[in-house]
Amino acid sequence: MAKTLLKDLVFARSGDKGDVCNIGLMAKTRNIYDFLLDTLTAESIKEHFKGMVKGDVIIYPMPNINSVDVVLNRSLGGGATCTLRFDQTGKSMCSALQRMEVDADESLIKEAMEADEAIMKKYTV
Amino acid sequence: MKKVTIGSGSAFWGDMLEPAVEMAERSNVQYIGFDHLAELTMALLNRMKTKDPMKGYIPDIIPWMEKMLPVTKPKGIKIITNAGGANPIQAGVEVKKVVQNMNLGPMNIGVISGDDILPYIDEIQAQGWKFTNMDTGEEDIDSIRDKIVAANAYIGADLIIEELQNGADVIIAGRVSDNALYVGPLMHEFGWDFTEKYTQKIAAAITIGHIIECSGCVTGGMSNMWRVSERPWEIGFPIAEVTEDGNAVITKTPDSGGIVNEWTIKEHLIYETVDPNNYKMPDGIADFTALTIKEEERNRVRITNMNGQKRPDTLKTCIGYRDGFIGEGLIFFPWPDALEKAKWSANWIRERFKSMNIEFDELRIDYIGVNMLHGESAPVVDKDLNEVGLRISARTKTWKEAELVRRETTHLWTMGPVGSSFGVPLNVRPVIALWPTLVPREAVKAQSQLLEVK
Repeated sequence: MAKTLLKDLVFARSGDKGDVCNIGLMAKTRNIYDFLLDTLTAESIKEHFKGMVKGDVIIYPMPNINSVDVVLNRSLGGGATCTLRFDQTGKSMCSALQRMEVDADESLIKEAMEADEAIMKKYTV
Repeated sequence: MKKVTIGSGSAFWGDMLEPAVEMAERSNVQYIGFDHLAELTMALLNRMKTKDPMKGYIPDIIPWMEKMLPVTKPKGIKIITNAGGANPIQAGVEVKKVVQNMNLGPMNIGVISGDDILPYIDEIQAQGWKFTNMDTGEEDIDSIRDKIVAANAYIGADLIIEELQNGADVIIAGRVSDNALYVGPLMHEFGWDFTEKYTQKIAAAITIGHIIECSGCVTGGMSNMWRVSERPWEIGFPIAEVTEDGNAVITKTPDSGGIVNEWTIKEHLIYETVDPNNYKMPDGIADFTALTIKEEERNRVRITNMNGQKRPDTLKTCIGYRDGFIGEGLIFFPWPDALEKAKWSANWIRERFKSMNIEFDELRIDYIGVNMLHGESAPVVDKDLNEVGLRISARTKTWKEAELVRRETTHLWTMGPVGSSFGVPLNVRPVIALWPTLVPREAVKAQSQLLEVK
């Protein structure tokens, strides 16, 4: 096992609905998706945000696209129209979660790195 | 099999116009949807209408129609937009003038209004309905009753379908849901209705609408694919080629920049999706957890197996109410000891506020370059940074207090550590808070009319 950041395993994007922020984590491979389901918990994610998330955290699996939808209730200072956050709509919350450190098998970390290289190579013109 | 091609021309008030014009010029789309309304926009437009009853629609709609209509008219492309905002009827009249002045007739303009439920709130409440706040669970709408400035229901595709059947070439609506701008034309073209027979098809239309409705955000904007997006400054907006079986190919304007691939579809599918099993829209409930995404060729992605459930009995409604003011200020500190200077200044301003007895609902201090975006989850910085910004913001009950906050932050510009740098002062802004709730579908009295230009 080795320590790695979620950034190396998943793509991520976040947005808002009122005071709710949701973060899509798109696993770079199926094995990584399985790892996410085994590893991520509502408690560990809430802990990672250290008080920024006032409400419940919910994780929705999306097995069809190897992704999970992480929902952070009451996390945007009341919502875009009244929050004091500069990032009113929670666009940067995705990378805040990508900072999370996890323990993974070296083979999975290697798989993630190779998958990332293959994806970027495939789409480079 | 019958195929219908629809595109997205705008995702918010202020979006890029060129990609929409290019889509009309270069592609074979039959419909282009233009969404202009975010949650806050209706409250702003209502305020404009209160000041001037002839206003309250998205003002951009006039110059945009002047650019779009000469391209869409000869090709028979229909435009569907919610740019009517708080005053769709006046917007319709203004667009009619554009058509007349530019000699673009004959043309029919459908106008959809009646999403404004502010006049009926007391009536709906008297029938025992509780406007429970969907975010907080609060039920006491009376606590904000005298501060409400807008209450608009998100209405569905019903009247879009009706006006397309009536021969509309352009449809100007108020708070029609972004999604219905795409569901409407698909239901109209394929003859789908709200009976159970078409529930899956409508769920597919909702999913397709969701995928394309944020314009460039599925074609390389806000994307994890930013490094590999081709000529991103010439970004093309998304197009869906939908077949009668409820499947679709997502692509973008021919010869445009940007990128459409498996990942841009995935990242957008989850974007602003709070429950992917139940994506609730006025026209139905889509389930995003079973569909299949497959790249066909470069910038063409096929989506199949979309499904969901029938439309809910309630409509989401956003109630906007006045909720105080925000005063804020910015100041930047250079190396050396930039972060220490910023912290020294934060302490200075806290002491000033204390001695001035300013009452806050909330005070926030951000260190730009350190923790403004990632907050408490950002790691501690232990090196001497090149520069650090200090952002001070506060929410107050009165304009006067917010102005004191703003003003005092500018005093820090010349009372703080050496090297403190500043730009121009920011303005105090009023806060419109939102109370998201549900109303019974039948309580919303939406209506439509057709304006004809011979």
